[in-house]
Amino acid sequence: MNGSIIWYLQRISSLFVLTYTIWLFSSFRSFDGTFLGWDLLTSSIVFRLFTTITIISILMHAFIGLWTVGTDYLTSRTLGFLSYRLANYADLIRNSYQILFVFLGLIFLIIVLIVIWI
Amino acid sequence: MIEVSIYRYNPETDKFPYMQKFEFTPPEREIMVLELLTLLKEEDPTLSFRRSCREGVCGSDGMSINGKNSLACITPLSDVLQKNKIDLRPLPGLPVIRDLVVDMTEFYNQYEKIKPFLQNDQPHPEKERLQSPEERSKLDGLYECILCACCSTSCPSFWWNPDKFVGPAALLQAYRFIADTRDTRTEERLESISDPFSVYRCHGIMNCVNVCPKGLNPNKAIGEIKKTLLLRKESGNELIAKSGGT
Repeated sequence: MNGSIIWYLQRISSLFVLTYTIWLFSSFRSFDGTFLGWDLLTSSIVFRLFTTITIISILMHAFIGLWTVGTDYLTSRTLGFLSYRLANYADLIRNSYQILFVFLGLIFLIIVLIVIWI
Repeated sequence: MIEVSIYRYNPETDKFPYMQKFEFTPPEREIMVLELLTLLKEEDPTLSFRRSCREGVCGSDGMSINGKNSLACITPLSDVLQKNKIDLRPLPGLPVIRDLVVDMTEFYNQYEKIKPFLQNDQPHPEKERLQSPEERSKLDGLYECILCACCSTSCPSFWWNPDKFVGPAALLQAYRFIADTRDTRTEERLESISDPFSVYRCHGIMNCVNVCPKGLNPNKAIGEIKKTLLLRKESGNELIAKSGGT
């Protein structure tokens, strides 16, 4: 993987999240507090598409961040500071950690897509 | 009378490293930390540390002085004493060979990786490859590095991934050749460090700038490399790199 692509993905995804947050709060200004108003907002195609893109951006951003943390702190070198024995399992621990947050991210994505689109 | 605390470790006799305390009466005149160590070595000849030029040129005596990486030979003792105490440890993050002497293999491996020499594919000129004063001035603040490793060993990213992250010292030198108008291998140089670790593991912590005994700014050079890497697909590498990365 090219480092520049990761750099761009992280920055662009954060801009999406920021734009979405501003847009969402500005939408609330015209929200009248009724169920109908809420339904109108959340059932619009703009809301659904924008939310989907933002959720994907959040997951991408989180994946890059957590992957960076894992490759910094869950290596044989860093775990070796805690225990020599633990250092032998560094790859296993790091891979398990990555599988865990990818799994949780996918569950989060599926739940959000179901809530928004179905 | 001051209290000097020094990291001691001899792998042949010690199971674990320990801090040894020395009571020391400094002379009336100002002395550098290196002289303090030299005087202590007269008391205890087993004390090990590197030194050579004793004037901040060779970069041999980099060490952690009261928690900050510095060159012992150009650090006045009076500047670093805290409540008449001083704490001397080896450069952090590198394996200790003995006492204040570290194994710098990982540091030099990264330096080797960036090919720190001029590469030019064009035919040899009759005399020399010329640069204008403006082109030459782009190398100021880059070529002065003495490879003492104070910067790289103060960088957490280098501590965690010394085999993958090139580190501030070697990246400063990488940019020294990327910015050099006489070098024609810019694209290869950039490609060799375009992975997610070599350059992009720098998170701009700035420890390197804080400790550099020569007052250099590796973080700025790393920023220029990142900028060149990020823009090179769009505008053409040679143009951006040779125009100073902007």
